[in-house]
Amino acid sequence: MEGLIAAAQEEGTLTTIALPHDWCNYGGVIEGFKAKYGLDVNELAPDAGSADELEAIRANQGSTGPQAPDVVDVGLAFGPEAKDEGLLQAYKVSTWDSIPDDAKDPDGFWYGDYYGVLAFEVNADVVENVPTQWSDLLDPQYEGQIALAGDPRVSNQAIFSVFAAALANGGTLDDAQAGLDFFAELNESGNLVPVIAESGTVASGETPITIRWTYNALANRDANSDLADIQVVIPEDGRYAGVYVQGISAYAPHPNAAKLWMEYLYSDEGQTLWLQGYCNPIRYEDMLSRDVIPADLAAALPDSTGAVFPSLEQITAASELITTQWDTVVGANVGGG
Amino acid sequence: MSAISATAVAEAPPTPEPAIRAGSGSKVLAWMVVFGGLIYFFTPLVATGQRSFFAIRDTFGFEAYRRILTDPTFIDTFTLSVVNAVLTIVLSLIVIVPTAYWVALKMPRLRSVIEFITLLPFVIPAVVLVFGLLRMYGPPPLSLLNSSTSTRVILICAYAALSFPYMYRAVDNGLRAINIRTLTEAAQSLGATWPTIIWRVIFPNLKVALLSGALLTFAIVIGELTIALYLGQHTFGPYMADLVRNKVSEPAALTVLSFAFTWIAMGIISYLTRRQPSSKKRGKR
Amino acid sequence: MTGPSVAAKRRRSWNWVGLLPFFVFASAFLLGPAAILLYRSFVGPDSELTLANYQGLVDDQVVESYWLSVRISLMTAVIGGIFGFLLAWAVIYGGLPRVFRSLLTTFSGVASNFAGVPLAAAFIFTLGRIGIVTALFNFVGFDLYDNDFTLYNFWGLSVVYMFFQFPLMVLTITPALEGLKKEWKEASENLGASGWQYWRHVGLPVLMPSILGTIILLFGNAFGAHATAYALTGGNLRLATILIGSQISGDVLNNPGLGYAVAMGMVAIMAFSIIVYTVLQRRSEKWLA
Repeated sequence: MEGLIAAAQEEGTLTTIALPHDWCNYGGVIEGFKAKYGLDVNELAPDAGSADELEAIRANQGSTGPQAPDVVDVGLAFGPEAKDEGLLQAYKVSTWDSIPDDAKDPDGFWYGDYYGVLAFEVNADVVENVPTQWSDLLDPQYEGQIALAGDPRVSNQAIFSVFAAALANGGTLDDAQAGLDFFAELNESGNLVPVIAESGTVASGETPITIRWTYNALANRDANSDLADIQVVIPEDGRYAGVYVQGISAYAPHPNAAKLWMEYLYSDEGQTLWLQGYCNPIRYEDMLSRDVIPADLAAALPDSTGAVFPSLEQITAASELITTQWDTVVGANVGGG
Repeated sequence: MSAISATAVAEAPPTPEPAIRAGSGSKVLAWMVVFGGLIYFFTPLVATGQRSFFAIRDTFGFEAYRRILTDPTFIDTFTLSVVNAVLTIVLSLIVIVPTAYWVALKMPRLRSVIEFITLLPFVIPAVVLVFGLLRMYGPPPLSLLNSSTSTRVILICAYAALSFPYMYRAVDNGLRAINIRTLTEAAQSLGATWPTIIWRVIFPNLKVALLSGALLTFAIVIGELTIALYLGQHTFGPYMADLVRNKVSEPAALTVLSFAFTWIAMGIISYLTRRQPSSKKRGKR
Repeated sequence: MTGPSVAAKRRRSWNWVGLLPFFVFASAFLLGPAAILLYRSFVGPDSELTLANYQGLVDDQVVESYWLSVRISLMTAVIGGIFGFLLAWAVIYGGLPRVFRSLLTTFSGVASNFAGVPLAAAFIFTLGRIGIVTALFNFVGFDLYDNDFTLYNFWGLSVVYMFFQFPLMVLTITPALEGLKKEWKEASENLGASGWQYWRHVGLPVLMPSILGTIILLFGNAFGAHATAYALTGGNLRLATILIGSQISGDVLNNPGLGYAVAMGMVAIMAFSIIVYTVLQRRSEKWLA
């Protein structure tokens, strides 16, 4: 480990991509990493999607400049794809064994980092009765108030929202059709608006109800507390959990810094920082059993018992169904003109 | 024809701008148009301004502005972008003005081809452009992207390319309004070389067009987002986008501030340009 | 001029040199990436060379996207062109106080690239569900959104696009407007023509090539716009640029090759528009002869 630290400090910088500061408290994680090891962190494209992150690796092959990412944090489905394409290099952190088997690649190319559960994020200043379950959303009192947090043909949060709705409406992890039907109904009734909800639009009241990962919703609640009363509710039915995975670029300009970053993320310290961002770190169970989780942080996490984790195959199948069928089944008629 | 128009200018009574007087009917129309424009443009800005004063729920105040102005990242990114903008304008002028002039003068049939090329930035998505540039200039043997400075050079070149549609159109419009053939012949008969013609005859006659092109380019560079993001450059665009994603009043305040700063900057450029004596005559030689 | 001799041919061929800097620069920063775009449009999901992406272009969804993009671009270009022209005319020749001229020019500089998320946000604050204009209407008892109005559709987006189309027209047509020779106006007045007749028979025809060229610029500007549309309608308005973005970026394993093919389709549409514009422009130039 000492050797790794020295080698990383020689390299001097780490280049990250797609890490918004308020996502799982990455802001705190990056500061912690910089303070502990004295390295610089060069941050690229905080808003990049998983596909963009991989494209950035591909496009920067052979380049060692400040725009070539060292490490990526992508949706679960992208891990195997990146490995197959040879975009990642294998590395098993020292705490490797305490990462659950179903959340990592056996060869060490990618490994789950944290998970969250989809929840309703509600601006309680605008919305009088906060919905507590999926079926509540169909109530006419929410007309024009519900928006997805992304384009359901492109964004994970949006696609998984539809998947989660399926679970609450008779669908299964293997069939997300019920979710599409639910959203078709939501759209018909006028409750769903064709806008992308973001932290800003929820806080301003333009899209007072949306469905996002608990950690994003809670972070927004804190960040905009002087502007709006934002409440975060995990629906009673249809609890959906999703995992993201880390990987080191095969062409990383600073491979040692990258490995040190991984060691930091998977140490108790790093995992706890994620916990501060309301994310469930992947080694949560292990840390719980060793009693190293601060009580107040554990208490701040919303209760997510009963949340289901779909497998990679189930995610791929559902994504395929939702992205291709969204227009025909739900198809908000915005052709206009 | 040149001799005649030269004497016409010399003998015409001096008139103040604008030389074409407006009848009362057109004045009414003009006021209506401007009034309509005012409403359309200022309502969204007023709405944004209104948001910016309410950083804290139901409390009118300048909190959002205070947060922005005391944020060192704001100063850093804005300054960086302004410098980038100026460099881009210079580069764009150097490439476009001689080209537009040359095509208009010598090879008018090629106009469409040149126009098509200058309009390419509209149909190449920014994301595709930046990844294309990464692939072209990153790997050896070129390896132009291994340092922050060299990447910044590539960024500025890319921005100049992005400004082509606007710069070319403005310059071409300006060229059509003056008689370049006559000017060129006159200059050549006085023994001027091509660089002299371009620099001392063409450029001064295009003051208005160049100003338009420069203003448009300035705005593009300040707000540009995607290319800066993927080239790892910490410019104003990404800073603004980050703020807008997460907050409500701060981005509103930032919009008002950057609007004001940019408007002032452009006012200064415009004022400086109009003070040049050659701008008082409107292309009549 | 000299006769059709070898000397003349040699002179013509040297003219190309004058365009070299432009072509070099354009190749390095536009044509190069465009070539990469072209190449990758032939690559399939498993990295094989294929024509399947182009076959995807005749898909209903794709054709709809192109048509939607063309419609909104054409509309905002023409309306933007007309009103932008009127604005420029008003401050230059409309008899208004001189200061309006420079105010409009500088404001146009700022507004012409006020686009993307901040612009969408500004209009949401104005005409969104919680916008001030919406609130104003509510105040007098008229609920906009109950009456089928929404900012988040084709018309709403068009209104938003005008914010950068108008200024773009103003800035770009101003050099041409300024260049109108005052002798012509004086001559037409001496012949007893009214202001309107002057414009109809002299002013507008002279300016037509520049006007057309600027409208094409506005068309391209709207055609290639992505950030504003995405920020406002979140991908629900399936413009071509949004379609491309959803294939190339995002969190889902999509088909980038198709995205590139759609982009090439946009290049083709743009090329076609230029041909149309060039023909119109040549016609209009004949009026000057």
